[in-house]
Amino acid sequence: MSTIEGDDEQDLTRKQRREQARAKRRELEQAEAASALRRTRLTQLGIVAVIVVAIVVGIVVATGGGSKKGIATNPIERNATVGEVSSLLGGIPESGNNALGSPTAPVTLQYFADLQCPVCRQFTLGALKPLIESYVRPGELRIEFHSFQTATRDPETFRAQQVAALAAGKQQRGWYYVELFYHQQGEESTGYVTESYLLGLARQVPGLDMGKWASDRSSPELASSVASDEVAAKTHGFSGTPAFAIGKTGGTMQKLEYSSLTDPGSFVTAIQRLAKR
Amino acid sequence: MSARTLRITLLALTLIGLGVASYLTYVHYAGIKPACTAGESCTKVQTSQYSKLAGVPVALIGLIGYVSILTSLLAPENETSRFATVALTVVGFGFSGYLTGRELFSIHAICEWCVSSAVIMTLLMCLSIWRFLRGDLTARGAEPESRIAAAEPAAPLGATRS
Repeated sequence: MSTIEGDDEQDLTRKQRREQARAKRRELEQAEAASALRRTRLTQLGIVAVIVVAIVVGIVVATGGGSKKGIATNPIERNATVGEVSSLLGGIPESGNNALGSPTAPVTLQYFADLQCPVCRQFTLGALKPLIESYVRPGELRIEFHSFQTATRDPETFRAQQVAALAAGKQQRGWYYVELFYHQQGEESTGYVTESYLLGLARQVPGLDMGKWASDRSSPELASSVASDEVAAKTHGFSGTPAFAIGKTGGTMQKLEYSSLTDPGSFVTAIQRLAKR
Repeated sequence: MSARTLRITLLALTLIGLGVASYLTYVHYAGIKPACTAGESCTKVQTSQYSKLAGVPVALIGLIGYVSILTSLLAPENETSRFATVALTVVGFGFSGYLTGRELFSIHAICEWCVSSAVIMTLLMCLSIWRFLRGDLTARGAEPESRIAAAEPAAPLGATRS
């Protein structure tokens, strides 16, 4: 009896030990499998991260230089730009250094801008064009260009570029300069506005007397005009550019809120409302 | 956090991101100014040369991204769908990082809509990586898939030894 019981006990212990060993083995295998799965997941994540980094670097390199490289050096491209600006502005009178359109136009729109401001470029190449064609050319609207420093970091550069446009305005060519600047605007904060850039633009303005333009650039009257525009912009409560004020010519100017840079709708509504008064 | 709560959180964040991206896409195509408390900053960002990538508005790319993430979250939950969510959110995070860098160093203006999308995408990425690495519990509260998956290769080995 005791021998049988002893054998049973030994059998049980052996069975238990086998079970325990099997359980331990299973646990080890499960732990190894879990660890392998975790490694696989981390590898997958790493692969995705590397691909994403490569894509982002590719995008940065591809978009790094931007499409706007400043003044056109290719004569064909330059002639096309000058031609486009000339056909937009040709035959429209300019007056008072900064105004485009007939001085007797019933409505005046004041356009506050920084020549380096890319959003102003959007407006100039967008909603401004149909406004000039449909309202300025027929003599219903005059547009004044005013200075407000936003995108240009260096105040001296800002003054120099804005005065360069006003100096062209002394020869009734200011809007040519403004349009040519925006058409060939460089990438923001790259320091592209240099003396040769400003000179290069002036050379593109049809019929501009370069000697007179150069001497007018040092006129204190123009520098003070830029400074007084800054004060006017702050009085209107403008915080960015482009910003606008509109009113009857010779009357009080009211701040104009626009809804789109490419659709002239909100400008047209204000012009028509003022013209009816 | 339970698997169910985690999935609901991911879905909620994706829906908010989808709303932001839809609004920015609408603003882009309607040519209107986005509602912005920081003056003209949003307009500046939205109309900059970086607002398009290969001619496609980045707002639309964002919208497509959020729709893809939503699809991966609504798909039956398994290792593949969780990996898809992770891959999409990592791509979204990388793209958001690129755009934020452009805002800070190229455009010098911050668009609050873009920043909110970037924050949402960052949260989505962190949560989905966590969900993927922990081999999440299914929504019904079954065994962790990692344990099930771990047991599978062990079975034939055990069978040969017993």
